[in-house]
Amino acid sequence: MAASEDSNESKIRTVFGSVLSLFILILIGVLAFSIRLFSVIKYESVIHEFDPYFNYRVTQFLTKNGIYDFWNWFDDRTWYPLGRVIGGTVYPGLTLTAGSIWWLLNSLNIPLSVETVCVFTAPIFSANAAWATYLLTKEVKGTGAGLTAAALLAMVPSYISRSVAGSYDNEAVAIFALIFTFYLYIKTLNTGSLFYATLNAITYFYMVCSWGGYTFIINLIPMHVLLCIVTGRYSSRLYIAYAPLVVLGTLLAALVPVVGFNAVMTSEHFASFLVFIIIHVVALVYYIKGILSPKMFKVAVTLVVSVGLVVCCAVVAVLIALVASSPTKGWSGRSLSLLDPTYASKYIPIIASVSEHQPPTWPSYFMDINVLAFLVPAGIVACFLPLSDASSFVVLYIVTSVYFSGVMVRLMLVLAPAACILSGIALSEAFDVLTRSIKFQLPGLSENSQIDAGDTTSSSVVTQNDAAKTNKNEDTLKERPSRKTRKKEKEHVEKTSIKSQIKKRLLVLPLEASIAAIFLLVLLGAFYVVHCVWAAAEAYSAPSIVLTSHSHDGLHVFDDFREAYAWLRHNTEVDDKVASWWDYGYQTTAMANRTVIVDNNTWNNTHIATVGTAMSSPEKAAWEIFNSLDVKYVLVVFGGLVGYPSDDINKFLWMVRIGGGVFPHIREPDYLRDGQYRIDSQATPTMLNCLMYKLSYFRFVETDGKGFDRVRRTEIGKKYFKLTHFEEVFTTHHWMVRIYKLKPPKNRIRVKTKKSKSKASSTTSSKRSGKRKKNPWQ
Amino acid sequence: MAISEKPILILILISLAVVFSGAESDRVAELLSLQSRSKSGVIHLDDHSLSRFLTSTTTPRPYSILIFFDATQLHEKPELNLQGLRSEFGLLASSFISNNKDSPSASKLFFCDIEFKESQSSFAQFGITSLPHIRLVGPDVKSLKDSEQMEQGDISRMADSMSDFVESRTKLSVGPIERPPMFSKKQLGFFVAAFLVWAPFVVKKVLAGQTLLHDSKIWLGSAVFVYFFSVSGTMHNIIRKMPMFLADRNDPSKLIFFYQGSGMQLGAEGFAIGFLYTIVGLLLAFVTHVLVRVKNVTVQRVIMLFALFISFLAVKKVVSLDNWKTGYGIHAFWPSSWN
Repeated sequence: MAASEDSNESKIRTVFGSVLSLFILILIGVLAFSIRLFSVIKYESVIHEFDPYFNYRVTQFLTKNGIYDFWNWFDDRTWYPLGRVIGGTVYPGLTLTAGSIWWLLNSLNIPLSVETVCVFTAPIFSANAAWATYLLTKEVKGTGAGLTAAALLAMVPSYISRSVAGSYDNEAVAIFALIFTFYLYIKTLNTGSLFYATLNAITYFYMVCSWGGYTFIINLIPMHVLLCIVTGRYSSRLYIAYAPLVVLGTLLAALVPVVGFNAVMTSEHFASFLVFIIIHVVALVYYIKGILSPKMFKVAVTLVVSVGLVVCCAVVAVLIALVASSPTKGWSGRSLSLLDPTYASKYIPIIASVSEHQPPTWPSYFMDINVLAFLVPAGIVACFLPLSDASSFVVLYIVTSVYFSGVMVRLMLVLAPAACILSGIALSEAFDVLTRSIKFQLPGLSENSQIDAGDTTSSSVVTQNDAAKTNKNEDTLKERPSRKTRKKEKEHVEKTSIKSQIKKRLLVLPLEASIAAIFLLVLLGAFYVVHCVWAAAEAYSAPSIVLTSHSHDGLHVFDDFREAYAWLRHNTEVDDKVASWWDYGYQTTAMANRTVIVDNNTWNNTHIATVGTAMSSPEKAAWEIFNSLDVKYVLVVFGGLVGYPSDDINKFLWMVRIGGGVFPHIREPDYLRDGQYRIDSQATPTMLNCLMYKLSYFRFVETDGKGFDRVRRTEIGKKYFKLTHFEEVFTTHHWMVRIYKLKPPKNRIRVKTKKSKSKASSTTSSKRSGKRKKNPWQ
Repeated sequence: MAISEKPILILILISLAVVFSGAESDRVAELLSLQSRSKSGVIHLDDHSLSRFLTSTTTPRPYSILIFFDATQLHEKPELNLQGLRSEFGLLASSFISNNKDSPSASKLFFCDIEFKESQSSFAQFGITSLPHIRLVGPDVKSLKDSEQMEQGDISRMADSMSDFVESRTKLSVGPIERPPMFSKKQLGFFVAAFLVWAPFVVKKVLAGQTLLHDSKIWLGSAVFVYFFSVSGTMHNIIRKMPMFLADRNDPSKLIFFYQGSGMQLGAEGFAIGFLYTIVGLLLAFVTHVLVRVKNVTVQRVIMLFALFISFLAVKKVVSLDNWKTGYGIHAFWPSSWN
């Protein structure tokens, strides 16, 4: 009778616990979604930056034309006159995801625009990622740790930076896919179920569809398998978790056009195949061990080991031969720079020059994972006590990702989930011990209650703390009374069931010190929340397409980019070509729907160098280059009037360098006075006569009478000049974007002939033909 | 770069012996013999031999000379990287010699180096004020100052770019640069043999499950170490070759350990913060997993309060240092009525 009551009570308790967990998980999802809405609230529902505009345009195409046309899409609006194969060169995961969401909503008669769906894809997937983190951590260390980790991940700044509303980029869905793949791997490892193994291969496929970072998975999991084998943890569950993933995963990965045969041809994937062979050898050894007597087994071991060694040597030799036959040893530059961190800075300046490929300093860690940096070591230690297959995987994950993040700041994004998981484990264990200490030592409790608290109690206490933390401090106050009542309930439950249990020594800490420790930990959590909210609101929510500035006379909004793109859209012919530096290519095609010469997918260096050369050439030569490319309009971004520092004049040296790299008549020293880049009266004549200078500063002196550039903080060198081959057609409100039209050739010849009456007309024409030869397009 | 005195002596003797012979073929033969005597094929010049091979000859000479200007006292300066460049220069020389062994161009170009202390007047003749400096004296150059200087860009990209420079100016082909392999064949053979001997023991140990790898403490230690190593930004320090600390510009006796500005950090700074990052977590783990098992309550209390105090200070220090370094004003969003 008493036993059945007990079981009833415990059933109610577990049910209550899971309902509470569910409720907390929903709140975490809401938190993850809503903390990313600052960009919409502070600015508007708009797609951010550069690459997301491309993804947006691809999604638009997908929703309009369907999946088959998307797959075969050859885009002639970009890289004119070359065009670009889109279907085979993008990771389609993000686009397909947003496209399906849009399709689903529309078939439910919820008429959202494609743009709205794109804007909110990233926040939705952040909530998914938080839930996936819960599942993963739960597999490793139980529900309490899972909920804490999920709450931490919901607001980790590193992930927020890539997934605010409007930041419609691959990483937004890829992080979810990454965590979920790991979860399914761990789940398979814990259960040995083929069902989860198959699901694992499918999520891996989704990850391959979404992001190039899938190579991290296909190297980390083999590493873990190898680690398990080496430390003698081989089991059939390990085999089921790994072998289907490699076979199915590789086959599925090869289906993604952008990966294709890379899935079996490049060195990034070789580790998985090597481990695949090893695990079979090991499985065979275990099998033979099982069917033979120990004595026979010893004989067999020598046999198998020698045969195995020979086979391994042969395979290794083949692999080495394969790898050595390719020039970069089969590794792509970015992966190589991870293994040998000094590689990129020595040999690949293009990778080394990108700011997100720089190695981070310690403040980056504090900015991106904040107080988690303090908690992770405790999580690592907790994972070793005791070490299981799952916890060893988490340790391996944090170690590799923290090392990689040390090489490239961009990979901080991969570190963030690991840091959240381990910090969640650390916090959960700490709260477990501390709350237990308080609970059983509070004055007024009977001696009898001092037994091992049991898992359910501690974990639900932790979950409450955790929920309190997520909802900020105010909520702690609200939840406290309910917690107390619940606690009493539980203690009552325990009192009834003590007698049957074995009495253990109570593992507790002193009461007052525990209270102080809990207070400090809650304070630490509160600091984390404050930091994350600040980072989401202030640091990471600017869309960079709309700019704002606060000054003494209030808020200024600079919406010049969209003004310019809208002008292009409404005032130019559909087939007109617009030339600009590559940064603005994606935006121009997406927002103005005009053909561009180069864009942010920098696959053709020569083409970019041609545009760079045109920008660095004098007007006439530039006109010829642009004319040969059928360009009608040239767009430059100019920040000198409002003080917008990342404008084309500041990027100009890169145009010169890239242009000079292909066309040697452009020489960087010609643009520098004594090694200094300047645009004032000391600037070199080449600089003052190049197209970029002229297009940026044309009529600039009319604004304030002096021509004072507020970015370079100087008066410009050449103030009064006329354009001969270009005419200004549009300048935005704050002069941030200026659009020029190429003058038609007929006009130019008339001017020439008029002038040439005084001179010999034949010389001019011969000069022209002489100049023509310099034109790289002939 | 310490060239022993013996070759110098021989060099002087030879130059004395042949100084009156005058014939150009003699000079070439002499250069060839000097070249064969030096290890990498770089001839060490001094004031005297310089005048013999360059200034006192009539143009056009039958050979060009590529000179590397060296200064022993500047070897310690890591930013100049003189020793590294000198060994690259040596590689260039030896590759040229081995690639042009039996062709007439072998006697068209010679590689030489000059040391600042022993040949100051030569440095003055060339008008050299800064190092690293490499000059090509072509066959027709009369005044040494007219000789052609290798540009910084060519020098910095090591032997390959130096060879491009040489090839474009002298019209001689240097051929592929032959770098010595990382390990010689004997070493490789030894490694393979050692591995083969060692492998059976390893396999036996692994099968028995008694290696270091099975000790979870080692895994724990190395995991925490990698964490410490990474969060302290050591990779940044290695890639950027950051020093551990800087000397204060205003007051050279003072040292700067912390650099303001988030894009850069100094070595000691990184390790200090990495230590603070790690220590808090380790203390927390210690309290939750080890201290709980201690039976003495007073010991528990003292250690715990101590750990809390240390952790609090560490977090506070990192927060204040971060605010100082990055200049971000991190603030909460309280209701406006609270102000």
